[in-house]
Amino acid sequence: MAGQSNPHLSIFSAPEVEFLAEDEVVEIVPNIKMDAVNMICGDFGPFFPQIATKVPLWLAVALKKRGKCSIRPPEWMFVERLTHVLEAERESPREFQPLPFHYVEMSKLLLDNAHEDIPDIYMVRSLIEDIRDVRFHKVETGLETISGRTHAVKLKNLSAMEVNIVRPFMVRALQAFYKHDSPEMIQQPESTVNRRAQVVDRGPRNIFVTVTGLNMILSVVAKSRDAFVVNNASFGAAAAAVSTTVMNCSL
Amino acid sequence: MLSYYDIDDILLGEEPISVVFQIGANGVGLLDPGSETNNVEKSAKVDLPFWLAHELFLRQAVSINVPSCYSLKTRKEIQADAACVDLRFRSPYFYELGCKLLPLVADKSIGPFLRYTFTSRYKEILCKSHSITGATPKFSSKLTKEESLLLEAARSSMVAFKKWRVGGSRLEKASILGRKRKPTMPTQPSGP
Repeated sequence: MAGQSNPHLSIFSAPEVEFLAEDEVVEIVPNIKMDAVNMICGDFGPFFPQIATKVPLWLAVALKKRGKCSIRPPEWMFVERLTHVLEAERESPREFQPLPFHYVEMSKLLLDNAHEDIPDIYMVRSLIEDIRDVRFHKVETGLETISGRTHAVKLKNLSAMEVNIVRPFMVRALQAFYKHDSPEMIQQPESTVNRRAQVVDRGPRNIFVTVTGLNMILSVVAKSRDAFVVNNASFGAAAAAVSTTVMNCSL
Repeated sequence: MLSYYDIDDILLGEEPISVVFQIGANGVGLLDPGSETNNVEKSAKVDLPFWLAHELFLRQAVSINVPSCYSLKTRKEIQADAACVDLRFRSPYFYELGCKLLPLVADKSIGPFLRYTFTSRYKEILCKSHSITGATPKFSSKLTKEESLLLEAARSSMVAFKKWRVGGSRLEKASILGRKRKPTMPTQPSGP
């Protein structure tokens, strides 16, 4: 499965990531009585007034738009929790805090469509913005540490939208490093010693765990909720396969 | 060795390369503007496009000189401040040409030099790429083809994300729908 917006690059557009996020389950409190709805993805309901039930986000938003329910914000979307997360993000410069995989998209959908159901909405909105900025800055700092032939980059707890933003840049950068740091390009180690010394000293690479192995394209096993950006030896079609795998594993 | 369907590879083949003829060649005087006859003398120095230089090299007709963009002077400039060097002016296919030239020339230090150049300039691209919006910045005119593709990849994904965050309708209107019909009548007479 790859994004449809650009068939050649096989990357996802932001609305496509949002579409994927709509399958996340949220809790709603309906104010109508309605029979169960039977969908391909499952059966939801039946709905009774003031009895909370769990539905996918797209159904919650659709009901909310018609004024048939109120959405209960997920437990991570409260001010105290977000403040803790923000503090932790600022304190640990090399780690990402565990947040829902689709937290950027979910928060946007909920803030746009269910603003009266979320307490302290302005605070929540600005906290999520801050968290996203801090995390993105970390990603950039981490990208600076790439300086050689890196086969894959592991970013634990990175969310779907965040990895989607850096994916085009990162894949291209890894391909370029892969090409320029190949053994064919660096043939004479004795003449490259002093240059290598200049290049290598870029600080520790604790954020990025490199996965080695030459036929590594699909040998990288993505654990769920870990976002991978994988470099590959044969570009082009393989890149499509990799991006596809990345998204499949992450979902 | 050049990819047939890759426009960058095709343009790369046009880069002029300075070669020295190892043998005399008859009937190809047009390759050498300084030649008075229709022949190219042995040990004549001629600028040829890369694709031709490569083919002649494989037939051992020429030896290839390292182009000026990999010269010692450029290397010193790169070592001083890699990000400020206008590599596009020197060769828009700086890296690609270097990779293709490496097996053809004796100077194997081009490989490490390319890597050092890319690593130093990558930092600069990285710290600017995700933060710029709107017009392309001034420094992007110094980037080679590969570097500007990298910059563009980051910039466009960030722009797409910001556009999504600001919101708007998820359904996009086809551009043809917004267009107003021109009030003027068609002037040409209706044909059969």
